[in-house]
Amino acid sequence: MATAVERRVRISRVAGRYLVFDIDDVLYIRRHHCICAVLTGTMPQNPTQNLFLSLPVELQAEEAQLLVDTGAGYIADELTDHMSRLSTTMDECTRKAYLQHIKQQRRNAQRVFEEEKAKVQAMHQNKRKANKPSSSTPSTEPAPAAVTEEDNLLFDNPKPTLPPSTTIPKEKEFSLPGVTPTTSYPLLPISTTPPAAPASSASTDAATLSSYPLYKYLNSRGYYTTPGLRFGGDYSVYPGDPFRYHAHYLANSYRWDEEVAMLDLVTSGRLGTAVKKSFLFGAEKPGGQQSGVDGAGEVRVFCIEWAGM
Amino acid sequence: MASQDHLASLCKVVLNNLEYQHDWTQLQQHTRAGLSRPLLYGLPPKRLYVHPDEQIDIIKAEKDRGERIPQEPEVEWVLPVHLSEKWSPAQFAAVFDGIEAIPPGGAEQEASEGEEREEQWRLWRGPKRGKRILLATVQDDSTVTYYWIFDGLVKPRQN
Repeated sequence: MATAVERRVRISRVAGRYLVFDIDDVLYIRRHHCICAVLTGTMPQNPTQNLFLSLPVELQAEEAQLLVDTGAGYIADELTDHMSRLSTTMDECTRKAYLQHIKQQRRNAQRVFEEEKAKVQAMHQNKRKANKPSSSTPSTEPAPAAVTEEDNLLFDNPKPTLPPSTTIPKEKEFSLPGVTPTTSYPLLPISTTPPAAPASSASTDAATLSSYPLYKYLNSRGYYTTPGLRFGGDYSVYPGDPFRYHAHYLANSYRWDEEVAMLDLVTSGRLGTAVKKSFLFGAEKPGGQQSGVDGAGEVRVFCIEWAGM
Repeated sequence: MASQDHLASLCKVVLNNLEYQHDWTQLQQHTRAGLSRPLLYGLPPKRLYVHPDEQIDIIKAEKDRGERIPQEPEVEWVLPVHLSEKWSPAQFAAVFDGIEAIPPGGAEQEASEGEEREEQWRLWRGPKRGKRILLATVQDDSTVTYYWIFDGLVKPRQN
């Protein structure tokens, strides 16, 4: 249980979507935080039915916000994190050190490359020498100790003092590996401002979502939610894990003073009854600073069902 | 003035519909300072709503007794609205805050037959009864459709 409390779920924010990639995290938030979210992973070439989707799990903004609020998770904003890491290298001495490091790597690579090349050349040379006595053609060099020389060449660092009659062209020897840039244009604008916030404390934009209070209200009572678009609402609300229960409600969130057409309530109520659910709508009462510890106001919910008469 | 007339005629339509089409009795109009419009209450000919948990309690009690328990109708609240109206959650909250769970007259009805011992299923007609209102939506052609609206999370019936 202690480990469960300390666990912090990494929520990757990629292109405005909240994704969880760790299967243990997915299990954890499902068991302990009543969040089942939506599996989205599929093969791009062969998209499957949504019954067979896999990781990553995509959280709704409300769910991500709830995990951040309860301290059970943190948002890893890929973009801002990437940018902030990049811009630290723009600091002058870090940048110099980095460039120095790259140059050093380049020199090392160059040296290794030269050594390899010399070895290969020497090996070819020796093979040629070994072959030549059998063919009994006159060679440019006497090769009595070819084998022993080759043995030495394998372990010593030979000087590339090869005779000019070898077939290996000498000109190519100086085409050294360069450091290839990994991007074709600069990643950062030249005058970069320091990034706003560290990734772990970054909040979602769900705090401004009007449906967050209702979501929090339902989640705090142990209800699971799934996206409710298939019933024309914001959420389908389950009294437990959706594997075990049918949804009890289809839920919509409104603002406290939002004028809702009676026809919408009636049609949603009728649809809900038709699928054995109740239509739930709720709103947060504004100015509830005396009631909520976290500044959240009281949430009032109402359920509508067809009366059957 | 026009809106008062509108509300009065709305109430009348619903009242007549309940009385003559749905055979309700003891229909009364209820006005109170906190309410934005008059509410109705009355006694339907048969019981209109049984909470799913109450249903379980009734079935348990019936099993213990070995006989069916007759379900007497309860007095219910009715809120007349027109289908073209727009209501905010704040207005619904105000209506629910302005009423008791059991309409006037409903408590006496329960008390007269409540001399028996306290049984779980019976509590649903008294202290365990949540606030609920029958939403009577009137259309231009004077069709009235009825929906339950409950205060708080009330699970759906097993219908």
